[in-house]
Formats: sequence, C-alpha cells, structure tokens
Amino acid sequence: MVWKSFRPLLLCTLVVGVGLLADVRAMAAPETARATIVRAILTSDDAQKHTIINSLIGQGDEAIREIFTAWRQDNLYIYTAPNGAKIPVELTGDKDADGTQAAVRVDSGEPLKDASGQPLRLVAKQLTAVEHDASLRRVMKNVVDLLDLGSPLPAKRLRAVQTIGFAQKADKLPVLEARTGIETDTEIKKELREAIALIHLADPDDGVKIKALVVLQELHNSSSYDLINALRAKAEKDNKPAVTAAAHSALLAIDHHRSVVKFFGTLFRGLSAGSVLLVVALGLAITFGLMGVINMAHGEMITVGAYATYITQNVFGAGMNFTLPFIKIAIHLPGLHLTGWAYQLYFLVAIPIGFLSAALVGIALERSVIRFLYRRPLESLLATFGVSLILQQMFKLTFGSNNVNVDSPVYLSSNWTVFDVTFDWNRVFVIGFAVVIVFGVWLALTKTPLGLLIRCVMQNRMMASCMGVRTERVNMLTFGLGSGLAGLAGVFVTQLGTVGPSMGQEYIVDSFMTVVVGGVGSIFGTVVSALGIGLTDQSLQQILLNPVLGKILVLLAIILFLQWRPTGLFSARSRSLD
Amino acid sequence: MITKFSKLLGAGVIALSALVGSARAADTVKVGVLHDLSGTMAISETSLRDVLLFTFDEINAKGGVLGKKIVPVIVDPGSVWPAFAEKSKQLLEVDKVAVTFGCWTSVSRKSALPVFEKDNGLLFYPVQYEGEEESQNVCYTAEAVNQQAIPAVDFFIAQGKKKFYLIGTDYVYPQTTNLVLLEYLLSKGVPLANIGGGFVKDSSGKITNAGKYTPFGHKDYQQIIAEIKDFAASGDACVISTLNGDTNPPFFKEYAAAGLTADTCPVVSYSIAEDEFRSLPAKDLVGQIGCWTYFQSIDSPENAKFLAAFQAWLKTTKADGVVKEGRVVDSPMVLSYDGVYLWKACVEKAGSFDVDKVRAVWKSGISFVGPGGKVTTQPNMHLTKTVYIGESKADGQFKILKTFPDVYGEPHLKGTFKPKE
Amino acid sequence: MSLPATDRPYFRSRHLEFIVVGVLLLLLTVIFPLLNAHGLLSDFTITLWGKYLCYALLAISVDLLWGYTGLLSLGQALFFSLGGYMFGMYLMLQIGMLGSYAKSGQNPNGLPDFMVFLGHTFLPPFWRPFQSFGFSVLMVFVIPGLLALAFGFLAFRSRIKGVYFSILTQALTYGAALMFFRNDFTMGGNNGFTDFKLILGHSLVDNDTGPATMRGLFIASALVLLTVCLFCHWLNGTKFGLVRQAIRDGENRVLFSGYATANFKLFVFVVAAFIAAVGGALFVPQAGIINPDQMTPDKSIEAVVWVAVGGRGTLIGPIIGAISINALRSWATQAYPDSWLIILGLIFLLVVLFLPGGMVSLPGKIKALRKSQGKPVEPAVARA
Repeated sequence: MVWKSFRPLLLCTLVVGVGLLADVRAMAAPETARATIVRAILTSDDAQKHTIINSLIGQGDEAIREIFTAWRQDNLYIYTAPNGAKIPVELTGDKDADGTQAAVRVDSGEPLKDASGQPLRLVAKQLTAVEHDASLRRVMKNVVDLLDLGSPLPAKRLRAVQTIGFAQKADKLPVLEARTGIETDTEIKKELREAIALIHLADPDDGVKIKALVVLQELHNSSSYDLINALRAKAEKDNKPAVTAAAHSALLAIDHHRSVVKFFGTLFRGLSAGSVLLVVALGLAITFGLMGVINMAHGEMITVGAYATYITQNVFGAGMNFTLPFIKIAIHLPGLHLTGWAYQLYFLVAIPIGFLSAALVGIALERSVIRFLYRRPLESLLATFGVSLILQQMFKLTFGSNNVNVDSPVYLSSNWTVFDVTFDWNRVFVIGFAVVIVFGVWLALTKTPLGLLIRCVMQNRMMASCMGVRTERVNMLTFGLGSGLAGLAGVFVTQLGTVGPSMGQEYIVDSFMTVVVGGVGSIFGTVVSALGIGLTDQSLQQILLNPVLGKILVLLAIILFLQWRPTGLFSARSRSLD
Repeated sequence: MITKFSKLLGAGVIALSALVGSARAADTVKVGVLHDLSGTMAISETSLRDVLLFTFDEINAKGGVLGKKIVPVIVDPGSVWPAFAEKSKQLLEVDKVAVTFGCWTSVSRKSALPVFEKDNGLLFYPVQYEGEEESQNVCYTAEAVNQQAIPAVDFFIAQGKKKFYLIGTDYVYPQTTNLVLLEYLLSKGVPLANIGGGFVKDSSGKITNAGKYTPFGHKDYQQIIAEIKDFAASGDACVISTLNGDTNPPFFKEYAAAGLTADTCPVVSYSIAEDEFRSLPAKDLVGQIGCWTYFQSIDSPENAKFLAAFQAWLKTTKADGVVKEGRVVDSPMVLSYDGVYLWKACVEKAGSFDVDKVRAVWKSGISFVGPGGKVTTQPNMHLTKTVYIGESKADGQFKILKTFPDVYGEPHLKGTFKPKE
Repeated sequence: MSLPATDRPYFRSRHLEFIVVGVLLLLLTVIFPLLNAHGLLSDFTITLWGKYLCYALLAISVDLLWGYTGLLSLGQALFFSLGGYMFGMYLMLQIGMLGSYAKSGQNPNGLPDFMVFLGHTFLPPFWRPFQSFGFSVLMVFVIPGLLALAFGFLAFRSRIKGVYFSILTQALTYGAALMFFRNDFTMGGNNGFTDFKLILGHSLVDNDTGPATMRGLFIASALVLLTVCLFCHWLNGTKFGLVRQAIRDGENRVLFSGYATANFKLFVFVVAAFIAAVGGALFVPQAGIINPDQMTPDKSIEAVVWVAVGGRGTLIGPIIGAISINALRSWATQAYPDSWLIILGLIFLLVVLFLPGGMVSLPGKIKALRKSQGKPVEPAVARA
C-alpha cells in the first residue's frame, strides 16, 4: 500500500535522476530485471535468493518496484504450465465468482496465455504462493532504496545512501557522486560523504584509504566503526603502519563522539527515569507523605489507572466484554469503532478517566478502611497490604491473568534524534507530564481553598476539627487526590511497561524510597529525590554496564543517606517528638 | 480453647489428608496437575491447566486410558517455589497420582524434581528449558536448546546477519542458552567483537558467558536500547532475546519508540509465543522472529482438528476459572497436550500405570502425530519434533518461514561446539 | 501502641501462657514423631508441620520486634533466608559426588551443580569452609547477626523509627533479594539451592532412612522452638524485658529516664535476627529449596500478618498465626485457588480492623460481649 501511494512520486524520481539512472543502466547485466527476479523467485536457497536480488542494486527498472510490491503483498504465485515449466505470475484485479483472477507473467509483464493464446485466469488457492520473510523484504527494500536515492523524502534518501555505503561496492561511486552534486539536505550530504569514504576504504590503494579515514574521522559517525575497525585489524596484520594509525585516530574520534552522545543520552534518560519515578511517587507523597497512611495499595491505584486506559482504548476500538467476579455480572462495553486520528485520541481521553477512576477507588478505600487507621500508621500498612492482595486478585478475575496490551498512539511512538542522541517522544512526554502534574499539585495545594484545608488538616487534625473544618471530608478528598495521581501515573506507564494484574507491585518499593528520601510531607523533596534517584540510577547503569548492580547501589546509598538525614532531604520542621 | 483449636487444626489436617488419600472408584486413574494458578506465574500457567483439562475430557470421552477415566488432581503452588516440593509430595504420597503434568519455570522444576526422584513419580514438563538435565523421572516434552535457540541462530546466519546482541532475564534458562549460543556463534566464526551485550569472565579472565542480564520485572530498558541502537548502527545486526514474559512489554515499547524495527534489527524472542504476544503492541512488532515446535498458524488437519475441539470445549466447559474469550494456543499448551497423549500411548503399550514400565516404553520410542506434527520419544527422556521459525504478524500470530523436521532433542550441549580457528 | 483491655490476650498470667505453649510443643515433639514412626501420620504431614514450626520461629522473631518492642521490621524474611542460605551452602557441598554432573564425570571437584552449569571450574574461596557442619551452623548466626548489628547500629543511632524503620528494612530486604537473584553472585541465582541429599551423613531422600531424617529435623525444629519460647519467656520476666516494652509504649520517656534505648533495640534486633536465621536454617532441609523469592519484602509482610492474626505481644500468638495461616494456605490453594488471595487479604483487613489483638484476644472479646449483654460494645477501631 505504502508503495502504491508513492507512485505519483516516481515520476519526479525519474525526472530528477534521469542522468544517474542512465549511468546505472549502462552498467546493468544484459539480463533484464524481470528475468533476474524470476530467477530469484525460482531459487529455493535463501542465501542465493538474496545474492540474486542484491544483483539488482543499481538497476533503475521501475518494474522492480512494482514486482516487489506485489511480492510483499502476497500477490505473486508460481504457475506450473502443462509442460511442467514453472512460471511466476502476479494475480491482479478482482476475483470473479469462481475466485479466479487475471494473471500477469513476471518475466514479461504480459498476461499469461494458454496454448491457444487466450489469457488464463487462475485461482490463487491452487497455486504455490511465492513466500517472503523479513530479511528477504529487507533485501528487496535495499534494492528499492536505490530507486529511493532520488526520493523527495529525505529519510528515504538517507537510508538509501547508508545501504550503499555499507555494501562498499566501488561501482556505486558514480551514483553517489552524481547525487552529491544535486543533494541539498545537509544531513544527507554528510551521509553521502560517509558512504563515499566507506566505499573508498575498500579501495586497494592505501593513499585513498587514508584519505577516506581522514574524512571518516571528521564525520565520527558510529555506523562506520565496524568497517574501520576491520580495516585496522587487517592493516595491522599486513603491517601497514600509516593506514593503521589513520584508522586508529578515526576510531578514537568515533569513541570520543560516542562518549559525548552517551553522556547526554544518560542525562536525558536519567531525567526521564526520574520523571517516571516522580509521576509514580507523587500520589504516594500525598497519601503517605501528607496523610501518613502507609498505603501498600498504592501500586494497585496505578493498576486501576492502567486498566482504565485499557478499557478506554477498547471502547474507542471494538468494545469489550468482561464479567465482574463473584457477583457474576457481565458487562458489555460497546465499541466506538474509531480509526485514524480519532482513535489515537483515546490516550488523551484516558488521562482524566484514569484519574477519576483511581480517585473513586481511593475514596471508597478511605471510607471503608483507611479512616479507621489514621492513628495506627503501622497497621495501615497491614490493612492496605490486604487490600492490595484483594485488588490484584480482583483484576485477575476480571481481566484475566494475562497481561494486556495498550497501544502507543502515534504521537508517542517515535523519536527525535539530535546529534545522535535519541529523544523518544514517550520519554519527552513523561518529562512534560511530570512538570505539569507537579505544577498542578502545587497549585492545588497552595492556591486553592481545598489545598488550604488539606494542609491544615494534615498538620493538626484535632485543631482543624475544632475550627470547624470537616476533617472527615478533607481526609476523603485528600486520599482521593493521592489515589487519582497514582491513577494518572497508571495511564502513563501503559506507554512504558507491562499492564497486568500485578503491575503495581513493581512500583511500590521505588515509590516509598522516593518519598522517604525526599522527606515525608514535602512535595518539593519528592521532586528532587525522584530526579536524583533517576539520574544516579541511569549513570550507574552506564558506568557499571549492569542494570541490577546499579539498582542495588542506589538502594544502599539511600539506606546510608537516611542514616545521615533520617527525615529525608526536606522535612517539615516540628517541635513534636513523636 | 487454645488447646482445642490446635487439636482441631491437627485433626483437620490429618483428616483432610486421609480423605484425599482414600481410594476412589476403581475405574478411574488419578493424574496430577501442578501449575501455578495464582501469583506471578499464573499469567502463563493457567492456560496449561486449561488445555490439560481439555485433553483429559477428550480422552475420557473416548473411553479413558486402559478403560479408566482420568481424574485430575489440581494443586496450586501459587508461584511459591518451596510449595512445588510440598505439592509434589502431596500428589505422590497422599493422592498417589499415576503421573503429573506441570511446572513452568526452571526453579519450580528444580524444586519438584528431588521429590519425583525420591518417590519415583513421573513428571511431564512442557516448557522450553535450558537443558543440562536428564532425570529419569521427568518426561521433557519441552523444547531443548537445540530445538529452539540454535535453529533460530542458523536462520539469522542464513539471512546474512553478522552481529548478535544477547539479552536475557537473569536466571538459569537465559544464562545457559547464551552460554551455548556463545559457543555456537564462535564455532560459526563470529568474532567476539560482533557479539553484543557484554561478557562474563571468571577470576582468571576466561570468558565464561555472554549477554546482558536484567532482573525479573525490570522496567527501564532505555540504556540497553541505546546500546543496541549503537550496536546495530553498522547494519546486519540482530537481537537474541531470552527476556522473560513480564519484561518484554517494556523492552519492545522502548525498542519501537527508539525507531528500531524488524527491518533494521530483528529480534528473536524465545519466550514469546502467541499467548504472550497478547500483551505486546503487535502492530509495532511485525516481522519479529519466534522459534517453537508449534505455531497456531500451522496448516495441518491435526492442528485444525485440535483448534476446533479446544474452542468447542471452551464453550461448553464447566471448569472453574477458565477464561473463555480471546483464547489462543501456543507451544507449551500443545506440548502439554502431546504429553498426555504420549503418556496414554505408553501406558497402553505397557498395559500398566506403573512408572517403571511406562518409562521403559517411553525409552523404546513412541510416536504421536500432534497439532505440531509428529513427536517421537527418545531414550534420553526428551522428544524428537519439528521446529518452526515464524515471524510475527499484526494480528499476533506467526507466519511460518522455515521448518526443520525431526530435530532430535539434545539436553547436553555445553562444550559441544568448538570455536572455529 | 498498647492494646485496649478487650483486645488483650486470653491469658491473664504470662506464666500460664508459657506453660500452655510449653506443654503443647512438648506434646508435638513427642506425639507427631511417634505417630509417624508407627505409620499413623504420613511423612508428608510431618514435613509440612516441620515447616510450619520454622515459620513459627520467623513469626516469633517478628513478634519480638513488633509485638514487644514496637519495631515493625520488614527485614525478617531476609534474616530467615540468610540463615537458610548459610545452611544451604553446607547442604549443597554435602551433595558432592551424588550430583548429576558428578555422576556423569563432568564434575571432578564436586562443585554444586549450578556452578558447573554456569561454567565455573573451581569452588569460590568463600564457599570452601562450608564443608564443615560446625562452621556452617556458626555462620547461620554470624552472618545474619552481623548484618543486623551493622544495620541496627546505623538505624538506631540516628533514631530511625516507626514507619521509616519499616521502609528501610524493606529496602534492605529488596536490595539483598536483587543481589541474590544475580547469577554472578554464585549463590544459585533465581534457582537457589535445591536437590539436597545428605545432612550429617543422614540421607534426606532415601526411601528407607529419609523419613527418619525428616523426623529428626521435625524434632529439632520443635525443640528449637521450645527453647526460643523459653528464652522469650525468661526475657519477658527480666528488667530488660520491661524496658523493652516501655520503649514500645513511649520511647522518649524511657530515653529521658536515662536508658540508652538504642542499645536495647539493637540487642533485640540482633536476637530476632538469630531466631529468624535458625528458623531459616531448619526450614531449608525440610522444604528442599531456598531461593531469593523467600527474602522479598512481601514474605516479611506475610510473616507480620501471621503475628497480627495470631496476636502480637504474646508468646503463643505468633505460633498460632504462623501455623493456622499456613495450614489454611495449604488447604485453600487446592480448594479455592482463585479466591485464596482474596481470603488472605480479607483476613488481614478484618484482623486489623476488628481484632487488633489477634486470635488470642478472641475469647476475651467474646466474654466482654457476653458481659455487656446487649449493650453495644464500641468497636476497637473507633477508639483507635
């Protein structure tokens, strides 16, 4: 489908690349592209098939694109003629009542005819399909990519140039050089220089090699590392000090560039890991930090948000059925059957839904259990642990024990690459998301009447009650707010991790650590500690090259840190002893 | 009161064991089902319980085994590993089952194994595993490393892949698989520099293993994906993943977001079958590779019959806790199914439920044509079976790309492959 | 922290309680093995109860800290597992030539199978002394004890208490579990230790002599439990015991009265670690496996729940709690696998909300209810 939509663009390709294609044609083997493809189809050996198709590289025959498109779309079949000859055909057009379709010979592009010269119509099911797999498609794509050298889309041109460079075939040099003359995109110009240099690396002349190495050193692109390294090893063996030295300094330049990329990458990853921690822990900073409830069911509030997202997604799509456990009430949610952008919006809609559903569950929990335990914090740990077990099993019985899939909307599933540092959109989003909700919570707590009430009840429940504050109601709303924030985190983590009945458990220890390190009762402390832990964790991972050791060290550091500052980074000062 | 309570409890436990232990009608045979129905592993193992119940019903409807109806004794170790030993003991010593079908994780099998060996029981184990084991009390219907990991690597090599990144969850199966794969890759002439993920060295500096390992439940794959992206920048790279179920969604979500695709750097995942695929964004993962001895998409009359019968059973079954909608079938489920039929065939040939006799028949080589093709028992307690390589499609099913018929299950692979000079 | 009158345990005198516990345990020590030896009680049941007794030790260690001293430690599962690992190392090395690699001649040095598996060729130095039973038993105390001492010293010195203490112990446990999960740590990784064959020359798996070994382990567990009860009973009667309870009920007042509460707490913490570790060491040969799953924070919380259900601050409560919850688990995971976690969760909730004194306070509650004769008794929760 994708290919077809590019057909109008092909004309441009042809016009732009006319000179270049002519060059290529002159070099092409006498065999036509169609004949080559037929040979590839009829070969059973994978490796040989790849070689044959690769031999098409550089050919400009537009038939290649058409046949490959048909191949990818499962429209190619092998027809066995009465005389036993195997003829690859493309089935086209609509099926008639008998399921037959028009057949076009791959080798000529003409309709397939029987002995009497009448066009044959064939049934797909009776023929052998021409198979393809990922790697074959990749090989085909490489060939098509060359056609893409003249594509108006920069990304396509870039891939095409890269592919040619890695292949290191000297006969492609003219194509690239021709392209260099007309290319305007700076990124691709750079890539063209690299590709040409890479091809020069394979040149028998050492002088050319060294010149190419100088270019590569200047470009210091990670992708040329392997080829340079191989060259260095070979030059060392053949005792060619000049080449070895040039290769060595090129490698050093790449290594240096890599370490810079790693540094900024780690910084970004640390920031995003910290933001995830912050989003996940912020709810707990309220229920545990402000209210003093050791809420072991915090993780399950995250799960509520995640399942709310899952349900929203399904309602935007095909709808879903589930049965509430024990009471056996079957619930049918009709689907809206949206597609395209309207469907992609499901995630934005899920954000408030996730918040509200978790807030409601939280309020129910507060009313039924937590309100009896404000003076017994340690026991709130046990009770909420019980609640957590019950909720997990309920999720399991309702949505099945399998993890479920929440799709990534298009606006969260790509990335920007700036100076080789990848900025995933979902990670960028979580950083922004963290900033927004922290700001929102700060506003809510400091600038609204409810925030004032929350702060006064949390400081002294008795006194607030004496002043006429309806503490019960404030407790309920505060817990609802904390749970709702956990629900928001749940909505977001669907984009990063597993969604399943026990997913909440994975966040609970981290969340408590973040809040305790930040200082119980201080939202600002939670922010600082989340970012600090995130950065430390990612840096340690980078240094130790081991994700577990880093985590253990972070835990150890936290334990030691708390010996030094038992109440965390920022703690509410108070004269009370207990 | 305390005394009373304690006595009551003691009496209760004794009475309970007596009750369960008492023989039922003579025309039945008891069969144990030892799968986690709660806790972390319930995700995977509940489906195995379901397929076993289905198989028992199917066999019972046709007259049972040796004229006896199968009565399943289902126990739930709850993903608590010591409970596997406890429950095995209960099945063998109290319920006195003729055979047990169960276990998923390596640690659960290791926990149950000593009990099966002590009491001379028979355990059918259906999940792809690390090998290096050949107990006389376990029938390994599972894929051995050479029936999964090695064919997939061969496949990649044939596709012209030159660089291999090894990643897995830190437990025995990935560690051992990677150990064998390291030897295998070196034997194929792949240089160390082209094997990614890092190496494990012992104190003398000798490389003992390769691969990047993350803990269970790991959530943050940013760093590792960045590493893979850099590794794959020079083309012709692939990832060999032994990541365990729960860690796959974060891994693949990060992988897709970083712009990696099956075209640029394909991933073969040994722990993702159709069932696990349901929790993954299938549309972002088209073209990733799976390698099993069964795929739901196999086009054979046996498979069609099996799928239809299983779906029909799901509709009518009264068994508790069986999810009826959106069910798929995968390799461990089919290997459980095959296991029951192989056991039936062995028992019928032996003319007895006696473990020693059944084992003797197993070792003599019995065949069964199951949904995944013909499986044949081997003297080393494993199975010869067909290996399939498939690539994932947008609907979460696999398209079969390659078939390796009749691969002999070989549990001891370590040290088999010598590096190429 | 102290409980209201109606929630107090049934026994008015702690001596009476101790006598009841002692007699019960003695009976258990004698009767169960006797029944088993005569075939009246299955081997399965005796191993099962042996494990319950080990769990009871873990519960007592939690109670010693939480019920008597007011420290809710979520690290007891760590000490339990550490004890188990130390003894497990001894058991692993006992396998020696009976392991499956050794049998096929691939393991001339008698390494534990998992090491051969991961490509090791020689025994890491720190493993070597564990060939000795005496050394291993010593380590069962030393390693958890040292960890408790170091952690407790730091924590109590900087006056970490209450919730912070719980969360820190939880972090410690979590970090340790992550460490033990790593295969590089040469402690068996996720699979842990399993497939034990011999203990002090007695077979654990042999069909003839195995049951006798298990019986021996059961008796050992019961006797250790009895000793621990005796120790706790004695401790409760000393001035030390009283100071400890005073710390629970008002630490600052004790501090201001001139007691170095940190030292008291440290002592109790280390003793509790010992008790948990012994429980773990006895648990491992009976369960046949130890792996890092046993040292996760969840397992610690579970142990806390046994104590809460049984009745904290009593001697008999933790024992009853550990045995009854685990017996319930054995039964319910088979009868109601789908609802088991819900049942467990509800028990937590109900006990915390309505029965803060645990099961041992039930008789007192019922009595009080009868006395009030229709007058509605204010639920404990409302007062709390």
